[in-house]
Amino acid sequence: MLVLVLGDLHVPNRCNALPAKFKKLLVPGRIHHILCTGNLCSKETLDYLKTLASDVHIVRGDFDKISSTYPEQKVVTVGQFKIGLAHGHQIVPWGDPESLASLQRQLGVDILITGHTHKFEAYEHDGKFFINPGSATGAYNPINKFVIPSFVLMDIQSSTVVTYVYQLVDDEVKVERIEYKKN
Amino acid sequence: MSKSGSMSPLEDQDKLLDEALSVVKVQALQMKRCLDKRKLMDALKHASTMLGELRTSLLSPKSYYELYMAICDELQHLEMYLLDEFQNGRKVTDLYELVQYAGNIIPRLYLLVTVGVVYIKTNEQSRRDILRDLVEMCRGVQHPLRGLFLRNYLLQCTRNLLPDLAESDPLATESYGNVRDAVDFIQLNFSEMNKLWVRMAYQGHSRDKERRERERQELRLLVGTNLVRLAQLDSVDVELYKKVVLPGILEQVVSCRDALAQEYLMECIIQVFPDEVHLDTLHTYLKACAELHTDVKVHVILVALVERLAAYGQRQQALGQPPIPPHIPLFDIFSDQIGNIAQARPEMPSENLVSLQVSLISLAFRCYPDQINLVDKVLESTLVALDKIAVEKVDFDSSLGKELNRLLRMPVSHYNSLVTLLQLPHFGQVLQRLDFNGRKSIALHLVNNALDNETHITTQEHVDAVLNMLAPLICDQPDQVLAGQDAEDFAEEQNLMARLIHLLAAEESDLDQQYRMLTSARKQFGAGGARRIPFTLPPLIYEAFKLARKYFDARQEDELWEKKCEKIFTFCHQCIAALVKAELAELPLRLFLQGALAASQIIFGTHETLAYEFISQAFTLYEEEISDSKAQFAALTLMAASLEKLDCFSEENSAPVRSKCALLASALLRKPDQCRALILVSNLFWSSTTKELEGKPMRDGKKVLECLRKAGKVATECLDPGVQAQLIVELVNAYVHFFHQGNQHITVTHINELISKVRQDLLPQLENSDEKELIERHLGASCEMLRHRRDNPSTTSDAPSYQGIVLD
Repeated sequence: MLVLVLGDLHVPNRCNALPAKFKKLLVPGRIHHILCTGNLCSKETLDYLKTLASDVHIVRGDFDKISSTYPEQKVVTVGQFKIGLAHGHQIVPWGDPESLASLQRQLGVDILITGHTHKFEAYEHDGKFFINPGSATGAYNPINKFVIPSFVLMDIQSSTVVTYVYQLVDDEVKVERIEYKKN
Repeated sequence: MSKSGSMSPLEDQDKLLDEALSVVKVQALQMKRCLDKRKLMDALKHASTMLGELRTSLLSPKSYYELYMAICDELQHLEMYLLDEFQNGRKVTDLYELVQYAGNIIPRLYLLVTVGVVYIKTNEQSRRDILRDLVEMCRGVQHPLRGLFLRNYLLQCTRNLLPDLAESDPLATESYGNVRDAVDFIQLNFSEMNKLWVRMAYQGHSRDKERRERERQELRLLVGTNLVRLAQLDSVDVELYKKVVLPGILEQVVSCRDALAQEYLMECIIQVFPDEVHLDTLHTYLKACAELHTDVKVHVILVALVERLAAYGQRQQALGQPPIPPHIPLFDIFSDQIGNIAQARPEMPSENLVSLQVSLISLAFRCYPDQINLVDKVLESTLVALDKIAVEKVDFDSSLGKELNRLLRMPVSHYNSLVTLLQLPHFGQVLQRLDFNGRKSIALHLVNNALDNETHITTQEHVDAVLNMLAPLICDQPDQVLAGQDAEDFAEEQNLMARLIHLLAAEESDLDQQYRMLTSARKQFGAGGARRIPFTLPPLIYEAFKLARKYFDARQEDELWEKKCEKIFTFCHQCIAALVKAELAELPLRLFLQGALAASQIIFGTHETLAYEFISQAFTLYEEEISDSKAQFAALTLMAASLEKLDCFSEENSAPVRSKCALLASALLRKPDQCRALILVSNLFWSSTTKELEGKPMRDGKKVLECLRKAGKVATECLDPGVQAQLIVELVNAYVHFFHQGNQHITVTHINELISKVRQDLLPQLENSDEKELIERHLGASCEMLRHRRDNPSTTSDAPSYQGIVLD
């Protein structure tokens, strides 16, 4: 089961488009679910995501309109995994692992996905898995000087999830692989 | 002509054709029987009767054609018999005279052609003479339809028999003939056929004009085949073509003064003869074009010719040859010719002229790809043509509008570079002649092209020029109808413009140029008014933030960098203020927060003051403009979270802001929001920092506890036990968070009290439900974590001890 995890695209305010090399990789028909951390921020970007997969889940980012129908948090079950999704600007301090763990406990999920920092993360903490897909467009972030465009693809097979992170470094796509087993 | 009677004309035709075909069948059978018995005279009589069916006036061209084909098939037998006789030495004496006995001219001539062919094939007499005789004899039939088919028969029969040899060839004897004779033969046949074809236009009643024209079109291939035959003569060299063949054809075409014939034949010439030869005879051909009947769509012919030569040029280039031989100024020739035609035909609709310009541009692209000035020349001529018709703004929906649209899109799609387009001074001028819809359509095409190709715009001059071309998307135009554009469409357009802004990118090292580009763009986009700036100013603001960062990174190379950064932040401030004036609140508040964060990270003289200004503007906006509860909570969250990250303030500056956050948290309308906001704010006293602390976190444990206490009190004021329970579990996690990081004002007792409150007091009040389950699970997970920490104490010396935590 392939799950695309991405967010913080900030199109058109901070970026003009997804990097071409990423677009080439994201072919419709292969992805089952999309989990988006928010801050798209335009209808055209949403429409584009919908062409990649029919099951798209989005949560509200700080630059998505308050009036939008996106929830602040969402819990989705894929295979044996309960996955929590939130943008992350609501977690203070931003990016703090302890505070994220708190949210994980509150949602009761195996995997917690958040964004906002524009910095890719994937780590285990107290037997649970935390992912931040970063910014898919490498969008500007005032306190993160070195933003690299990145997104994540999770391959969920029974009780194992293999996480592939795609990063655009010096105009080349680099891929890393991280495994997480549910205990 | 046929009478309708009780049947439709169509049924009439079918009946007549069937009758004729059955006669043919019968006579053909008889003819073959006689040939088998070697009774030639009788066979000829039957053949003659069969051919008599071709004398009819009653059949339509389609039906006549079918009859003709059936008869030709049968005549083949006769021809084969005669050939056989001759080749076996049994010459038929005076065959020529024998067939003259056929009574009527039609059968007689078909038989004479057949016999003539046999004579040629058996070398009985002079090929040259026979051919000349036959082509002359056919004059005997002056009826258009019958004459056309008869001459077609002649042409088909002599297909491989023409003397296709150069004059110098030894085999080209007096008797055999040479290519000149072949050419003469075909040209005479062609002239006569064309005359017959034209004459068809005048047969019959004027009300049948349309039908006649249709029927003439059906027969055009018969006439065109002559040209095909000429093209198939291998021995025609370029000189002969130039001096004899082409002039002969053109003379007939021009002098017949028939629009239908001219249109077809001129295009036929283009298709049938090779491109190299067209290049050599352009002047002659074009001169003839100018002399054509006024009804002829000359522009269609020229477009076809240009297209052909452009394709030829492209192929030559692909083979490594020069596209067009340099001694032929092809572009100028056509350019001049189009001018001539425009003058000679003042009534020609301007869209036809423009379609000619379109083909000229295509020629320029394909054969003269390096000469961008040619493209501009075409645009200039178009402008002149538009001036002549003195139209203010061309209606986009009109044919002229559509052709102009095509014209303008061509250089855009060909060069795929907005910047290259700027080298065409007349492009913008032609663009201005379109009405609003037209200019907007082209503008959208330009923007999409730039975005698809990631075309960077690198100087301020270019920015101004490009944005001028895109004016319909940037601000309201005087000729724009302002009523109801769909809001979604409008947003989509403005999003395109917003994306375009990120393509404004000066050379890496030229930061001053980038600044000038951004300020220049700001002026233009500002004119868009309150509807547009929410889309177009934010990208400019972010590009400005990025630029400030670049100045900071390159500070060694520019001693004025601090002043420049100040200017940039002032610019951003002013942009955000403009958004406030346009009655926005949530977006500018967030942009102010972003500005404060950006300024805090770029350390220059006045950066603290600027950051403070930005953040206080955010707070002002909050108090003055944000009244919706949900919006307030969301905004306050961001304000507090941003403040936690702002490390550039002195204690003097940051203390009041922290207090303000706490106050605002308590002032939220809904109790749960107050509780959660207070928990958020508590972080400000723990992990944020000031200038004096030099990056070390504040760690004001007492203040943290104060906030949490207040949060707890607010939670107990929530009447709904479920809501209260949820809040208190969150509070437990908050207490533990600070306890774990060493807040000594927080004790295990605090935590126990809260857990007990939920377990003993609140949960029992709840009915079994999803809500209760969630709370229980949350509490359970929290207690699990606490149990683990209690039972597996950390070995570090100053780690907090979880001894005494009561979990059951």
